Amino acid sequence: MTSPAYAIQIKDLSKTYKTGFWLKPKVTHALKNLTLDVFEKEAFGLLGLNGAGKTTAIKIILGFLAPTHGSVSILGGKISDRQVRNQIGYLSELPYFSRQHTGRELLEYFGSLHGFSGSALSKRVYEVLELVRMTKAANDRVSGYSKGMLQRIGIGQALIGKPKLLICDEPMSGLDPVGYKEMRDIFIDLKKTGTTLFLNTHIMDEVERVCDRIGILHDGQLKEVALVPDVLQSSINIDYWVDVDSHDASKLSGVPFQKSVAEQNGMQISGLVLPETLTLLSQRQVKTKGVRPLSSVMEAYFLKTIGAQQPTPSERVSS
Amino acid sequence: MKRIFHVTTFTFRELIRSKMLYIWLLSAIVFCLLAFLLSILSFGEVHKIFMDLGLVGMEWSGTLVLLLSLAVTYNTEFEQKSIYLQLAKPITRGEYLLGRVLGFFSVISLVVLGMGLLIAGLVAFVGGGQVSPMFFYSSVFLLIEMFVLTTLGLTFQMIGTSMVGVVLYSMFTIFLGHCVGQVEWLLNQNLAPAVKTVLRVVHFFLPNLEAFNLKDRIYDPNLIFGWEQWREVLLYGFTYSFVVFLIGWINLEKREFM
Repeated sequence: MTSPAYAIQIKDLSKTYKTGFWLKPKVTHALKNLTLDVFEKEAFGLLGLNGAGKTTAIKIILGFLAPTHGSVSILGGKISDRQVRNQIGYLSELPYFSRQHTGRELLEYFGSLHGFSGSALSKRVYEVLELVRMTKAANDRVSGYSKGMLQRIGIGQALIGKPKLLICDEPMSGLDPVGYKEMRDIFIDLKKTGTTLFLNTHIMDEVERVCDRIGILHDGQLKEVALVPDVLQSSINIDYWVDVDSHDASKLSGVPFQKSVAEQNGMQISGLVLPETLTLLSQRQVKTKGVRPLSSVMEAYFLKTIGAQQPTPSERVSS
Repeated sequence: MKRIFHVTTFTFRELIRSKMLYIWLLSAIVFCLLAFLLSILSFGEVHKIFMDLGLVGMEWSGTLVLLLSLAVTYNTEFEQKSIYLQLAKPITRGEYLLGRVLGFFSVISLVVLGMGLLIAGLVAFVGGGQVSPMFFYSSVFLLIEMFVLTTLGLTFQMIGTSMVGVVLYSMFTIFLGHCVGQVEWLLNQNLAPAVKTVLRVVHFFLPNLEAFNLKDRIYDPNLIFGWEQWREVLLYGFTYSFVVFLIGWINLEKREFM
C-alpha cells in the first residue's frame, strides 16, 4: 500500500505578531499549532471568519511570512526552492497589477518568470487567455479593467506556469454572478486535470461545489477537517423561514418552536420540527406562501463548528 | 539572468508609460526657456549658459523622475501588494531587486541622456558653440550618480514601511549627499568630540554625491581630469551601489509581508 502524496504538509505551525510600543507591547496569536495535510490532486477549502488566520496560513505557506514555530513542506520541498515555486500558482485576494501593462503583457511577464519563452510563451499565453475568457480584452491596458477582469487576469497569471498546486486567497472576491460561475467552472476543470487546489474562502457554495475536503479555522486554530460529502450528508439541522399570508400572521402566535417572527410575514423554524409545524399551520388554516432554507448545510456546519448561531432573515439581508 | 532581464523590461515598460514622465518633458521645456532667457541677458557665451543649465536640468529631471517613480511603484508593489504575485513565482528576491534597479536606471538614463542630447543640440545649433568633451564627461558622471541614487532609493523601498517615508529618506539622502563637503569642513573645525563622532558616522554612511559633480568644474582652468579621476569615481560609485544593494537585498530577504 502506498502512502498518499502530500501537496502541503503543515506541522504545528504558529504565528505571533508583536505590535505596539515597547512599553505597551501587544501580542496577537494569528495561528496556533496548525497541523494540516493537503493531498495531491484534491481540492481543499480552508474556511474561516475574517481574522481567523487563513491569509496568515497562506502567507507562511508561500514564504511571505516566517512562522514563529512549526514547519511547512510544499510539494515535498521548501518554498524557497525555485523548482517548487515553479509548480505553484498563487492568486491573492483582489489582485493588483501595474496599470501601465496590457493583460497579455502581464501574462507574458509572469510566463517568462516561469521559464517560458518564444513561441512556447505565446502559445501558453493564448491558452490561458482563452481559459479565463480574456482574449478580447488582452491588448487593453489593465487600467481599464473591471474588478472581475482583474480577477480573471489574476487567475490567468496563477495558471500560466501549469501549476501542480494552485493556492487562492478569496478567489471569488469582487466577482459578479457570471464571473463567479466562470471562476467556479475553471476550478472544476482544473480539478479534472489533476491540479491540487487550496482555496481560502468564505463562500460556502464554492466549497460545496468545488472542494473535496474542508478545514475550519477559527481564532487561529483548526477546529475541524472533514470530507465535503460527509458534511453534506450529515444530519446537521438547518433553520427554515416559513412565509405566510399577511392576513394569517396573527395565527402564528403560540406555534411551538418558532425562533423568530418577522412582522406579518412569517417565522423562523428549526428543520427538526418543520414537518410538524407545517401540519400545524395547515390545521390552523394558515396559508403558507413558501418555505426556504436560511442557510446551506455547509454554512450550518461551519457556524456550528465555530460556535455561532445561524443568522435570522434580517441579519442575512443586512449582511 | 533571464529572469532579471524580464523584471528589468517589465519595470522599464511600467515606468516609461507612466504619466510622471510628463514631468521630464515639462522640465525640459522650462530649462530651455530659462536658458534662452538667460542667454539674452548674458551678452555672449550663450553655449556656456546652455551647458550649465542643461547639466542642472539633467540632474533635476533625473532625480525628480526617480523620486516620483519610487512613490508610484511603492504604492503598486507594496501597498497594493502586486509584489506578492511576483515573489510567488520562481524568482529570487535578489533577482527581483536587481531587475528593478536596472529597470529604474534604464528609464532614468533615458531621461538624463534625452535631456543631454537636447542641450547638446541647443548648444550646437542655437548657441553657435561647440559641445565641450567635458559636457559628455559630466553627463557620464551624472549617470553614475543616478545609478547610486537608484540603488539607494530602491533599498529604501525595501526597508521603508510607507510611501512618504521612502520618498523622504531618499530626498534627505540626496540633499545631504551634496553636503558632504560641508560635513568634511565641519570635521576640520574645533568641535566637541561627541559632535565629531556623529559627523564621522554621517560622513561614513552618506553617499558623496559631490564626487560625481563635474558640472561645477567644467570651466575650472586648474581641473585635472584623467584616468585616475575616472577610476576613482567609477570605483566609488559602483562599490557604494553594491554595498547599498546588498543591504536592500538582505532586507528584502528578511522582510515579512503582513
